[in-house]
Amino acid sequence: MQPRSTDIRVAVVFGPGMRIQPMWFDVNRKQHTIRKITNSWMDKKGETVFMHFHVTDEGALYELVYNMADASWKLEQIEVL
Amino acid sequence: MERTIMHVDMNAFFASVEQQSNPALRGKPIAVIGSSSRTVILTASYEARAFGVKTGFTTWEAKQKCPELVLVPANNRLYTHVSSLIMKIMHDYTPLVEVFSIDEAFMDITGSLNLFGGVERISYLIKSRIKARFGISCSIGIAPNKLLAKLASEMKKPDGLTIIHPQDIARTLEHLPIKELCGIGRKMERQLLMMSIHTCGELGRCDEARLTGKFGIVGSRLKQMGQGIDNSPVVPAEEAEEVKSVGHSMTLKRDIRERADILRFLLQLSEMVGRRARRYGVWGRTIHLTVRYADFTTFGKQESLREYINLSDDIYNAAVKILDSLELTQSVRLLGIRLTNLQHQTSQLPLFPEDQTRLKLTEAMDQVNNRFGDFVVMYGSLLDQEGKGSHVISPAWRPEGIRNVGVQ
Repeated sequence: MQPRSTDIRVAVVFGPGMRIQPMWFDVNRKQHTIRKITNSWMDKKGETVFMHFHVTDEGALYELVYNMADASWKLEQIEVL
Repeated sequence: MERTIMHVDMNAFFASVEQQSNPALRGKPIAVIGSSSRTVILTASYEARAFGVKTGFTTWEAKQKCPELVLVPANNRLYTHVSSLIMKIMHDYTPLVEVFSIDEAFMDITGSLNLFGGVERISYLIKSRIKARFGISCSIGIAPNKLLAKLASEMKKPDGLTIIHPQDIARTLEHLPIKELCGIGRKMERQLLMMSIHTCGELGRCDEARLTGKFGIVGSRLKQMGQGIDNSPVVPAEEAEEVKSVGHSMTLKRDIRERADILRFLLQLSEMVGRRARRYGVWGRTIHLTVRYADFTTFGKQESLREYINLSDDIYNAAVKILDSLELTQSVRLLGIRLTNLQHQTSQLPLFPEDQTRLKLTEAMDQVNNRFGDFVVMYGSLLDQEGKGSHVISPAWRPEGIRNVGVQ
């Protein structure tokens, strides 16, 4: 996978019980509709909790990371399928 | 330094590959069967397993459990191809990858943890990449050694991720049945149960002298297994020991008795063994012939030669000589030829003109077959033979090297 670490905009549905479901994100003004969330997990750096999502659109696998402290999103990695 | 070992196990691998390559099979109970008519279930999809269909069932037994079961003939080439690509993904995270079988591998990720952000991240990266690229889920086990990593991956299926931390080893093993440990088969389990050892905890506490008295040097190893100790390293292919034999066997489509039929299969097997030996530059001095009768009685006989050989007709002649020393009392179900006592050496030019011609002929055949596929150029007596080449994936199959057997 190619490392990126880019700030991105993500449309998210927040559900009950801290359920977070990213729906689409845009990178370089191109919107990517999320087809499937293949995996998600949490980790911590110091006090900050990060939620990691592996998602696919039509052509690639992406790792999106949600910083729960400042509610920001990053695109960490891309792999073209 | 504590090691971090990962065991990756593809879930219902053959069936998952089939379901991905044919969308019409997705979500349906399917079972992959061998190509021969006398086959058993090689693996079943999770939908079929829900009906009780298990590996090793005859197709009749499987249909009894699940009448709607879809039987899919195995596509071994596809499975070995997908397996090779999956193993390449694992190599992105560590060079220490030991392919355990076509759908399992160990990885030593001790040195990669900081680079990729920890065990969970590496696990999910591998799982997601395999899922996104091939549509296959896998179970991952992580532990301080191979024994426990394999155990961990078995704990949650399908699509599991289980970590056994060093402080949890004793608790995990205490009530675990001994049969759950990799390396304890049915026979060993029976013997341990007769010694009143039922759980790994009991095995780990058992007096070592009692175990070695019963099992010899294996006894010490068994005690360590009960304690969750395993110091064996993850051995990548390039560091693996040189192979000790090159062999092929085949279960025949029908039982045969006629000498001419047996010879045809021996020639085919000799060509398969010879081709692989020549491709990887090994010569052998001992030929082993395996015969299985229709009633599954299996026996073998070997003969050592004066010279090292790897030409198919030399292997064939040696195998026929062994065959002629046997008295076959039943029809034959399986035949196998193995070349052992191996030597890796550079080729020596033969002294006599007829041997030089034979060598040149073999080299020419190999070149054509390497380019256009196995058995494109073959011995005339094999022309009418059906199902040439290897049709099963051996447990010893590896994505690279001499253990990479091309399958049909």
